[in-house]
Amino acid sequence: MADKHIPPGWDYNPATWPQRIPIIILALVGLGVATYLSLFQLHVIPTVWEPFFGNDSRKILTSSVSKVLPIPDAALGALGYLTDAVAGLIGGDNRWRTMPWIVIVFGLAVGPLGMVSILLVILQPVMFDAWCTLCLTSAAISLIMIGPAMDEMLASLQYMKRVKDANVSTWKAFWGYKSVQGKVE
Amino acid sequence: MWAQIINAILGIWLIVAPAVLGADKAAADNDHIIGPIIVSFAVISWWEATRVVRLYNLPLGAWLLLAPWILGYNETTVIISDMMVGALVIGFSFVKGKTETRYGGGWSAIWKSDSLHEREAKKQSNNL
Repeated sequence: MADKHIPPGWDYNPATWPQRIPIIILALVGLGVATYLSLFQLHVIPTVWEPFFGNDSRKILTSSVSKVLPIPDAALGALGYLTDAVAGLIGGDNRWRTMPWIVIVFGLAVGPLGMVSILLVILQPVMFDAWCTLCLTSAAISLIMIGPAMDEMLASLQYMKRVKDANVSTWKAFWGYKSVQGKVE
Repeated sequence: MWAQIINAILGIWLIVAPAVLGADKAAADNDHIIGPIIVSFAVISWWEATRVVRLYNLPLGAWLLLAPWILGYNETTVIISDMMVGALVIGFSFVKGKTETRYGGGWSAIWKSDSLHEREAKKQSNNL
């Protein structure tokens, strides 16, 4: 076998670096965009780049929805992207089995972040009749990350199913205790 | 995958259509809500491991066939646009495309017993 970390019944290993690095790069680009937008929302920079929709970006980024939480919504997005990038980096290329918790954190960070982005895209025209180019860019980035991140989560969840069926402690397997390593394929 | 690329483009069309065709508020809001969701499900299903997500677009396509009558659209062009997009999205959602890679039995294998990954795991441990 080419890679001894290929999950049983799979044709490839979803946790290799070539699988993970593109997602990490996307997360870092998203982090850059969201950080720039939150600097505008925090009044650190006075204007925001908007090539197509005139004053719309300002309207969106200073809207009531953007201030619902104690921190501006773009700052929350930046935290989300940071979580994605860090959770993408931690662990080796067998982490779907050695540390399922980080794979699940990664999947949970990528999934809901994408969904919140889509919700914000919907609110732009419906509530404010405006569009924000960089907000749309950020939404596109977080959407395109979802699909490629989910295969690794699938491998971890299937592993957890085998752990459960083998009556090995799912708690210990989830957190990657050394004592359960190698007990389940 | 090509079918889900087309569905993503159809979703983007929904997002811009109200501005292009001059829709009233009810029709525009509907398109602005449904469009991004269709794009999302279509894009997520570009990858084989999540190809099943394409089916989530079926109810959205069906809604687009009904929405003009339930929400009472005024412009004929918008009615035609939404219904055509709805019909096309339904059709393309059924196109699975080539899926040659094995994923241990997929998402249902998380709760179903005796699925591909479990059989393969047993085989591997017997060979040790």
